[in-house]
Amino acid sequence: MRLSEALQEKKNKILAVWVERTLDSYAASDFFKTSRDQIANPIGANIRAGLASILELLLKGAQTDEYTSALDQVVRIRAVQEFTPSQAVVPFLELKWVIRQVLGDDKKTSSLVYDLAEFDCEIDRVALAAFDIYAKCREQLYQVRIQELKSGSYILTDTPCTSSLLRERQRGPVKIN
Amino acid sequence: MGAVKVVKVDKLAKSVVQGPSLMTGSYPTKDWMDVPAVFKPGNFAYPAKKEKVEYMNAQQGLSFPNAREWWPEDDDWKLPENWKEIILNGLRERLDKFRSLKIFMDCCVRCGACADKCHFFLGTGDPKNMPVLRAELLRSVYRNDFTLAGKLLGKMAGGREMTVGVLKEWFMYAYQCTECRRCSVFCPYGIDTAEVTIMLRELLHTVGVGINWILEPASNSNRTGNHMGLQPHTFKDNVSFLCDDIENLTGIRVEPTFNRKGAEILFITPSADVFAEPGLYTAMGYLLLFHHIGLDYTWSTYASEGGNFGLFTNNETMKKLNAKMYAEAKRLGVKFIIGGECGHMWRVLHQYMDTMNGPADFLEVPKSPITGTVFDNARSTKMIHVSEFTADLIKNNKLNIDKSRNDHVVATWHDSCNTARGMGLLEEPRYILDNVVNNWYEMPENCIREKTFCCGSGTGLNTDEIMELRMRGGLPRANAVKYVHEKHGVNTLGCVCAIDRATLTSLVNYWVPQVRVCGLSELVGNSLVMEGEQRQELEDGLRTIL
Repeated sequence: MRLSEALQEKKNKILAVWVERTLDSYAASDFFKTSRDQIANPIGANIRAGLASILELLLKGAQTDEYTSALDQVVRIRAVQEFTPSQAVVPFLELKWVIRQVLGDDKKTSSLVYDLAEFDCEIDRVALAAFDIYAKCREQLYQVRIQELKSGSYILTDTPCTSSLLRERQRGPVKIN
Repeated sequence: MGAVKVVKVDKLAKSVVQGPSLMTGSYPTKDWMDVPAVFKPGNFAYPAKKEKVEYMNAQQGLSFPNAREWWPEDDDWKLPENWKEIILNGLRERLDKFRSLKIFMDCCVRCGACADKCHFFLGTGDPKNMPVLRAELLRSVYRNDFTLAGKLLGKMAGGREMTVGVLKEWFMYAYQCTECRRCSVFCPYGIDTAEVTIMLRELLHTVGVGINWILEPASNSNRTGNHMGLQPHTFKDNVSFLCDDIENLTGIRVEPTFNRKGAEILFITPSADVFAEPGLYTAMGYLLLFHHIGLDYTWSTYASEGGNFGLFTNNETMKKLNAKMYAEAKRLGVKFIIGGECGHMWRVLHQYMDTMNGPADFLEVPKSPITGTVFDNARSTKMIHVSEFTADLIKNNKLNIDKSRNDHVVATWHDSCNTARGMGLLEEPRYILDNVVNNWYEMPENCIREKTFCCGSGTGLNTDEIMELRMRGGLPRANAVKYVHEKHGVNTLGCVCAIDRATLTSLVNYWVPQVRVCGLSELVGNSLVMEGEQRQELEDGLRTIL
């Protein structure tokens, strides 16, 4: 069996493990895993849909820009959650591990794990694109803060004033999580 | 790698998780009680400033003790020496005073119906954001110190001792709840978890733990009558600027009055409507509407705030700020009050006003001077919502409307939590939309009306230092907006709440930037055909820049 055939055949299992594993990064993830309701379960549904699209694109050998929408669906959420930058995008690299696990668990496909170098490279490309999107999301988040200040709602308090930022700075360098 | 015949997905996933992984550190391994609250930049709102706490504490009938400089990331929160005694006595006092609290503490059977209904849980996956567990933060202390089983069995009976760690956890999660009450809709016992949060916040204030974004607006409101701290001349000037804008756009000069004794109606709205975008356009809508029908009404520069941040501190402050509206109505001698598009003003009015400051016997039961409709529903509070008033005008054919003036709008409707769940304002906004907009679409059924998702920034959480937290909390709402944007090309999110207008704007700017936020009265204002108007082509309604 060729690698591409094996990946196609194991696609559903790979996706299931990948989604499960990604959702495991949330402390209470049972509902995220079980509910398929797009509205009631935004994290679970978006991550499932985003990862499914990314896997499809990988299997058809898509160009990097074709991944943007699916990556955004996953990364935009993780960029505002309590993850470090690396934790936010690590699910994409973890796909390599998931694929090895799934192929390795079947005698018919276990030897194919040695042919994965090229596919791994594609996954790396996707993970790097994900990091670009992560950085864009963070920048957008700060733009939203600036926009809010400009719109006048800051007048409610002077909390975000320079002196309060200075006070934060006096407390030492800003820690990243 | 060893070959396994049949590997079930769940088993495999588990083995993968246990295997070597890059995702180290993100998996929960401890029981919730053993996971401490960790404060870091972005996950807490700044503490209340010392001078604001001192000011509030100096007000007659209010208690905000332990004013000091402190910081959530520090180990030492500089609590009073007897803080534990204060908290437990405070809890005892409230259990005696509020029967609902006692019932809420006792009757939860942990069925879990509420667990996946909270927008903060849905946006974080943090178990302590499940309403049942958030309430458990207080309930565990209640069990430990106020029930026989807890006193005897402690942790085995779900009790735990009140410690500084528990207090910090309270602060973390009482401020990751917007008191939106979506969870209570699903609770078979009707437990109002929002009221548990209200109690947690009250108790925290008894030892000097509160946030500035709430206390400063509350103190401003106490001092000048509005959250912004606007003085009378500034407030009047701002409204006048809006009148100038209206004149430029429509050729109509609107001349509102201020503090006018003998006016028939007092109009009160959130001060954000006369100061910050996009509320400004909503205020222009009110001004046009009242001019259109020739209403005998006045603004007040003292009761210049509909919002009541007292609700987010303690019941005494809420009562005091609410009373100001009625004191002003009495002073001016109006017949009744019309309230603007505010959220928690209506919650306070509908649920608490009557027992705090009511009934407002010196006012008359609201009767529309234009249609003669009597608003019996407000016979005790004597205050009606501008959407009730507008819907009645439309129903009685009193408005000259050209719907096509909103053809640049493809709208959807966000039921603001406080007006939807707190006062049942569900049909009137939809009726108005049907009549002033040609194109609007509902979001899916499980996130509208009484099941509406919160903006994620209510109850004083609309401060920018917790922007990430707000984006997480608002994800369920934004996700549904994105859904109708993609399905129907929706470009406008309408609502009737000032905090919504400000915070949903930030929310969609991150999640669905193609959509913008507006108040309902803005859409009404867009559509009105004014007598004697010299209106130019306003391709963006009241937002058009000429």
